Amino acid sequence: MSRQRTPATPRPAARLLLAVLLAAGGARAQAADLYVICNARVPISAADVRDLFLGEKQFSGAVKLVPVDNSVAQSAFLEKVLQMNAAKYSTAWTKKSFRDGINPPLVAGSDAEALAYVRRTPGACSYVTTPASDVLVVSKQ
Amino acid sequence: MNSIRRPRRQFARRWSSALLVAGLGHALVTQAAADDNDRIAVLEQKLDQSLQLIRELAARVHELEAKIAQQPPATPGANAPAPAGAAAAATGGAPPPTPAAALPPETAQRLTQLEQTVDQMAANAGHAEDRGMAMHGFADVGIGNHNAEFPQYQGADIAELDFFLTPRLGTNTRALFELNFEVAQDGQVGVDLERAQIGYQFGDSATLWIGRFHTPYGYYNTAFHHGQQIATSLRRPRFIEFEDHGGIMPAHTVGMWLTGSERVGGETKLTYDLYLGNGQRITGGQLDMNNAGNKRGGAIYGGNLGVLFGGRLDGLKIGVDAFQTRIADVDVTPAYFTQVRSYGVYSVYDTDSWENIAEFHVFTNSDLTGHTGSHHSDAGFAQFGYRGGRFIPYARYERGSFQQSDNYFAAQQTGQSYYRDSLGVRFDVDLVSALKMEIAETHFTDRIISSFDEILLQYAIRF
Repeated sequence: MSRQRTPATPRPAARLLLAVLLAAGGARAQAADLYVICNARVPISAADVRDLFLGEKQFSGAVKLVPVDNSVAQSAFLEKVLQMNAAKYSTAWTKKSFRDGINPPLVAGSDAEALAYVRRTPGACSYVTTPASDVLVVSKQ
Repeated sequence: MNSIRRPRRQFARRWSSALLVAGLGHALVTQAAADDNDRIAVLEQKLDQSLQLIRELAARVHELEAKIAQQPPATPGANAPAPAGAAAAATGGAPPPTPAAALPPETAQRLTQLEQTVDQMAANAGHAEDRGMAMHGFADVGIGNHNAEFPQYQGADIAELDFFLTPRLGTNTRALFELNFEVAQDGQVGVDLERAQIGYQFGDSATLWIGRFHTPYGYYNTAFHHGQQIATSLRRPRFIEFEDHGGIMPAHTVGMWLTGSERVGGETKLTYDLYLGNGQRITGGQLDMNNAGNKRGGAIYGGNLGVLFGGRLDGLKIGVDAFQTRIADVDVTPAYFTQVRSYGVYSVYDTDSWENIAEFHVFTNSDLTGHTGSHHSDAGFAQFGYRGGRFIPYARYERGSFQQSDNYFAAQQTGQSYYRDSLGVRFDVDLVSALKMEIAETHFTDRIISSFDEILLQYAIRF
């Protein structure tokens, strides 16, 4: 009886589990890279990013800031940078918009779109999952 | 003997049956184990194939994204061609893409679909452009043994439909318009241009608005106002209700308003408001904000200074406010004038777990017509809410003690003294809608002494 319940039974399962965990870990490692970027002419620091994406900071010197959310990286950005979930972020912007009359960030649909918008728009800032050139990398998470 | 043998036979039969079952079970388990091994081997193989496919797709996506980044922007006026090295930077050292021809047919088909999707994304690039006018709004309906705003009614009610528009106007000019459809005291639906303000933003620390705005006294009036979906409680405290809903303070001002905030070290922020506008009047027993300008009366001017803490006190805001105005009561001839002075303090603790709000206002009013001297009144509330997931139970106590010898309160239909206890719960149905239930008892303590109990239900949304 003990030979039927051999350790051989769990071994493939363990290997399978390990593979899944490694795959998940790999995906997680890939998702771990998040670059907050701004148009190259925006003088802004990493300490300003939270205020920028919550509408508390709208200017950098004379430059009007234009935050742009990136839908493919938004959940990671909210978790790592703003430390809030999507529901709280949405509610915070509804309140901000109602009280102060400012609009929530525009939304880009991909890294490429976010990057292209930031490159061509003075004051624009966003976040992407791959390193980018010709923009100011404000922080890497 | 038979009686002895029979149990032995039965005992033997039971053991035989048990062994048979065990044997069959053993065979089944063995077979099942063998099946599991086969299935796991197949799954492992599929997993390897999937991982390989993911790697290939990821490489292909990187390559396509790099291509898109190199394309000229779709929007007119765009002028940011990607540098030559952008593709290499965008791929981020990813393995070179596998030619589609070398892939299995299924993979090649999926790659083709992916390419089409990315092409579509590229075609749509620029959707994030800053154009047009954003429109948002709130709406709520209710039901109860009294109307939440007008207790003379009972049953179901449509409370309000509120639109606010925030057009994108450029670098420094801002605008905010709020249009409100609401049921009035006579039961008819009326339309109010709640806010109409156009402003110039000098920077983060200063915006100057001109127009009609929410008078920035205390916290509640500017924080929630018509936004029932973003407010925890089912309704505003009675004394800071809207002017035509029983409020005894000027909830709106037509004039100009300088507002802003500034960091004062670390994460602490100082907020301020300074405003000057048309002095309100009392007509029809209600405050009116003189939208068209002033004929009589004077100006209202005031300010609000708050400190918003960060770090360990994150979520705490405390502040003081004051205003002075000369109110004309035009329901009598000649008009009766009162100089109204209000001083307030407030405190808010708004975190992931708590939303606690307290406000207290003192009124020192001077009779400018009847020369009856000065009158002192006060009003305040304290509300405690606990954010327990989708449920937010809350409790509120509010009171207003208004001198009836003060014409400012005596002339207002709802200027009687009162206190109210409320218990309620808010349930977040989803991100944009909330269901609230409240039980409350209200006691009027002068004019006609009376009290009434309420059970109220509200469904509030935002969009």
